[in-house]
Amino acid sequence: MSEYVLELKGITKRFPGVTALDNVHFKLKPGEIHALMGENGAGKSTFIKVITGVHAPDEGEIFLNGEKVEFSSPNDAQAVGIAAIYQHVTNYPDLSVTENIFMGHEKTHKLTGRLLWKEMHEEARKVLRSLSSSIDPKAEMGSLSVAQQQIVEIAKAISTHARIIIMDEPTAALTSRESEELYKIAESLRDRGASIIFISHRFEDMYRLASQVTVLRDAKYIGSWGINEISNDALIVAMVGREINQVFPDRNGELGEKLLEVEGLSKAGYFADISFTLRKGEILGLTGLVGAGRTEVCQALFGIMPYDKGTIELKGQKVNIQSPKEAIRLGIGYLPEDRQLQGLVLQWSIGRNITLSALKKFDTKGWLNEKKEHAFTKNLAEKMHVKANSIFDLVSSLSGGNQQKVAVAKLLTAQLDVIILDEPTKGVDVGAKTAIYEIINELAAQGYGIILVSSEMLEVIGMSDRIAVMRAGRITTILDRETVTQEKILEASMADKPKKNVG
Amino acid sequence: MTMAQKAIDQSEYVQRTLKDTQDFSWKKFFLQWEWLLILVFFLVLVINTNLSPFFLNGAGLRDATMIFLDKAFIVFPMVMIMILRDIDISVGSTVALSSVIMATLYNDFGLPMGAALGACLLVGALCGLVNGLLIVKFKELSAVIVTLGTMILYRGIAYIILEDQASGNFPAWFSFFGWGNIGGIPFILIVFAVLAVVFTLLLHKTTFGRQVFAMGNNTTASRFSGVQVDKVKVIVFTLAGIMAAITAIFLASRMGSTRPNVATMYELDVIAMVALGGISTAGGKGRMVGAIIAVFILGYLQYGLGLINIPSQTMLVITGLLLLAAVGIPKLNVSRKFKRFRRKQLE
Repeated sequence: MSEYVLELKGITKRFPGVTALDNVHFKLKPGEIHALMGENGAGKSTFIKVITGVHAPDEGEIFLNGEKVEFSSPNDAQAVGIAAIYQHVTNYPDLSVTENIFMGHEKTHKLTGRLLWKEMHEEARKVLRSLSSSIDPKAEMGSLSVAQQQIVEIAKAISTHARIIIMDEPTAALTSRESEELYKIAESLRDRGASIIFISHRFEDMYRLASQVTVLRDAKYIGSWGINEISNDALIVAMVGREINQVFPDRNGELGEKLLEVEGLSKAGYFADISFTLRKGEILGLTGLVGAGRTEVCQALFGIMPYDKGTIELKGQKVNIQSPKEAIRLGIGYLPEDRQLQGLVLQWSIGRNITLSALKKFDTKGWLNEKKEHAFTKNLAEKMHVKANSIFDLVSSLSGGNQQKVAVAKLLTAQLDVIILDEPTKGVDVGAKTAIYEIINELAAQGYGIILVSSEMLEVIGMSDRIAVMRAGRITTILDRETVTQEKILEASMADKPKKNVG
Repeated sequence: MTMAQKAIDQSEYVQRTLKDTQDFSWKKFFLQWEWLLILVFFLVLVINTNLSPFFLNGAGLRDATMIFLDKAFIVFPMVMIMILRDIDISVGSTVALSSVIMATLYNDFGLPMGAALGACLLVGALCGLVNGLLIVKFKELSAVIVTLGTMILYRGIAYIILEDQASGNFPAWFSFFGWGNIGGIPFILIVFAVLAVVFTLLLHKTTFGRQVFAMGNNTTASRFSGVQVDKVKVIVFTLAGIMAAITAIFLASRMGSTRPNVATMYELDVIAMVALGGISTAGGKGRMVGAIIAVFILGYLQYGLGLINIPSQTMLVITGLLLLAAVGIPKLNVSRKFKRFRRKQLE
């Protein structure tokens, strides 16, 4: 019997254009709560998908209780007792709690195959009670709160006799009281002998629960420490890594007149009282945890999400933006976070994508001037250093970084003043990241006002003139380039301050 | 490749020249779906000529063309609807309703025929507009369900107005639509040709057409790019209504009267023509010319089968098999290479 219940050696996983995991190691002891940490995009999600059999690794080996295993599907991983509980609960909201718990391993009568409802309800009630929960097994899943749904997911894991339970940011949507309940459940699972892999951005979670922490950064394995062996500061350095000045171009542009002034912008349930200004040539960073409301604010400015209250002034003119078309006409452009779904028509060529947001430019009385279009897109794609053979190459054939260059080029086709970039370097390789940073810097120098939304702290610090930090739908602080530190951003974006130097 | 060359190729900073002209390749040119359709078209002609000595008879062929062309007007907007990944199964009912209202206004309300024609177009446009508005308003409902509802609704209104009676007695000049010739060419064929050119240009050469293709591939990205997605969709469905009304005019003219049950199952014929024409049911791909060729394939096939006295039931079987073959062949593994070419072609 091996010392470890789960061991991963040298796991590498590549996607077209991106290496998502690069020689990653991981060791999990029985009865251990093991925290997995790293910035957004460090490779945690891909890592989890390898463990749960969603992705097969290109290289590396997985050992379960010392025996080598290979998962060809999520079912294989489930069969050996690995269960995952995700941040966005994935369940059947229209079915009952019992049905959700027993989905895929229903109890049936041996002869007739009839579903044994009574037994399943009873069993579900028992499991839920063992989690000190009083959820009715016959309740509809969708009528439960997120916290309750997570408990049901955990009950499902228990009912499949899972020995390894992965929790992917389970506390992200919970209040602190609900989180405390979840901690208790996690501890009781541990005491019953299950091993837990816990992913969270909250230091508090980690210090409260975990006994071991493993850090990933830029798809690479950085290290694994006992929780008392590493200081808070050392952990942040491990997560964030590289020196700032190496990657980011110098900011030395002149700031011009006021372009955009947002005053008291609110949307019930999403964000409240958002106020900031943006000047010509300025890069305003907008950061905070995922789910803090950053994207929603941007989409309100772009006319996708209607807002309830507040005013938007563009170049001194009060504007009321109702649709993306109007936003673009007024001079506000938006690079969406989900490039593949919202940003680009993947099945289309580079050229057609570039002109889609400004077809008017090539339009005489409704007729498209394709010659003019081709010349224009060739010029722009070359300027953006898009790596391709011709403007007729399909966008789906490009790497993440080059797709993003096309998406940025799309913004430059329209006559814009303000450009909102939502996670512009998400899913992009390090080399292409630098190229995109230079493009952003160049745009600011040309006089665009830029709002840079990013979860990567270093990116925001390295690129922005000022940084607005959001938490739970509000801007908690706006920091200056000169005085900003990672600690200050962390402090402003988290509900609970990370403890200094535990141990 | 040397290391240095490799490094240059990998670099994000090297100035690259991108071609802005497409290389012409004969292989690519001939591996187009439309060539296959043309082949099938001639096959139908040859087989029909061999099976029946009457097939190539000029007058007979001309009459046949007049008969199947009336529903073909709806093919044009249906191509756009299917590129949008939607469908409209209410067009047959729209034909019935608009022709019934036209006949009733002329016969029972004493409107001049010209005004009745205008009313017919208006009713058609209105039917399409209602479809479009319902579909963009209730996004959770699919177009199939919405137009299934209006299909029953429009047909029902037509029955209430005319109560299973026929209404005719149109002025003599009205028969020109269905039976008239200009220089020996059927009037309906001339109108069809003109509209074919108009719709081909609209889909492939205008900003509007480009937006239709964009939405068919990715509606969300289109909206984020400032395309007014709801407006485009409503326009396309309204066009379907207008074309259904034009079909109603030609149909009523050819038949000399109209009834609430005319144009039953037209929607299925139209959708079959569009699918055979190579318009992807997954949306975003296809060309107008393919659907136009498909109109003639299905039309002459049915005419030819009729000439050799094949019962209409067998005709249905043959038409169904042809359609299945048309949508199935590109999905077979044997033709993967062809499929790849076709995908590139239709980009």
